[in-house]
Amino acid sequence: MLLSVSKRVFTQTRYIQIAILVAVLALSVAILLPNVSVIVQVLQSSNIDVAAKLIFLGSMYGALFTNFTLFSALATLAISTLFGINSALLAYYIRRRQAGVSNTGGHTAGVLGVVSGVFGIGCAACGSVIISSFLILFGAGGLLAILPFQGAEFGVLGVLLLSFSIYQLSKRIHDPLVCPS
Amino acid sequence: MQEEQPTVSTQTANLQTPMAAAAPQSTLLKDLMIPASIVLAGIFVGAGLYFSNGTGGSDVAGAPVPAQPVAQADNTDKVNPISAEDDYFKGNIDAPIQIIEFSDYDCPFCSRFHDVMNAVVEKYPDEVVWTYRHFPIEQLHPQAPAVAIAAECVGELKGNDAFWSFTDTYFVARGSGDKTAHDVLIPRLALEAGVTQAAFTTCFESGEMTARVQADMTNARETGGGGTPWSILIGPSGKTYPINGALPQSAIEQLISVAKAEA
Repeated sequence: MLLSVSKRVFTQTRYIQIAILVAVLALSVAILLPNVSVIVQVLQSSNIDVAAKLIFLGSMYGALFTNFTLFSALATLAISTLFGINSALLAYYIRRRQAGVSNTGGHTAGVLGVVSGVFGIGCAACGSVIISSFLILFGAGGLLAILPFQGAEFGVLGVLLLSFSIYQLSKRIHDPLVCPS
Repeated sequence: MQEEQPTVSTQTANLQTPMAAAAPQSTLLKDLMIPASIVLAGIFVGAGLYFSNGTGGSDVAGAPVPAQPVAQADNTDKVNPISAEDDYFKGNIDAPIQIIEFSDYDCPFCSRFHDVMNAVVEKYPDEVVWTYRHFPIEQLHPQAPAVAIAAECVGELKGNDAFWSFTDTYFVARGSGDKTAHDVLIPRLALEAGVTQAAFTTCFESGEMTARVQADMTNARETGGGGTPWSILIGPSGKTYPINGALPQSAIEQLISVAKAEA
């Protein structure tokens, strides 16, 4: 089923583009967001030419190798890729549904994927910008320290939820468009 | 590129069209669910990052300081200036580029960034001065404050070179996976840095250096530090640039170029 859905969706350039664009954006968010302040500062500077700004921005991507553990770098790459695939499938599903029938199952799976992707993605060992941020906000950041993998669990959770979401979406796409009786 | 429309069984679609048309509001609502959830997720991301001051995970570069008040963003100009008397530094103290690092001895990302900064100072010996300040995250690394106090004792007893000898060898040991217990490794490295055991023990147990470590930690938070390593680059013009986490050497070098260009 997954293979047949992949063939159906990813033989179309539009969906390949969506998947790549979203994956790159998600990866960029994970790598660059911790330093968004200095990036904005440099990009807004009128004393630096565009080439220097782009070189600086490009160099920041090296943080994937220094600012992440091997595990969290792999988790972030996996989540970004799955997030891109999930988004492309969701876009395909929405277009197909608009052309055919209303069915909320795919929406639910897609929303689950989007949300789990956002929660799962993030920097380094904690695996999630969101979770750690909210824990800190509520003064419970120390909870991360007592987790067996100090928050890396969220990265794994993100991968699992996105995989489940992709499976659900693929199932909806694969199934014939009929109303459940 | 010709866009291929998703294939739909005509017969099936015809069968279902009346049903879809019968609930246009419901369909619209469902359609809005996706972009709304994305926007909502984006707001969560933004809010989370804003309130955490852009920091990420736990045992990570830019790791949060648990249960600490979150500092306001971009207060980097509140960083205490580098002082030849009060700071331990590498490079040229009069260099146009100053990099002030707040670090934790037991943070693996600080160990990586330590290597990066050693390479940067070696490459720009006249243009860059790098100072090491303390920001131990006790909740994640319970022994890190003790290492910071030990380093201050070594520096107090034997000066700048001894401080860096202790600091460099400690990071090399931990970076290479040395799991020696703190109460064994700390005095051993202190002795290797040139202090006598008696003097070191007296200083370490006196608690005199605790205030220095605390002062560094306070300043780290005041400047917006939410995790380690947290660094601030000060350019020739006095403009400050926050560096959150362990950036690669190429990024630090680019930032140095940027700071010089803005002078």
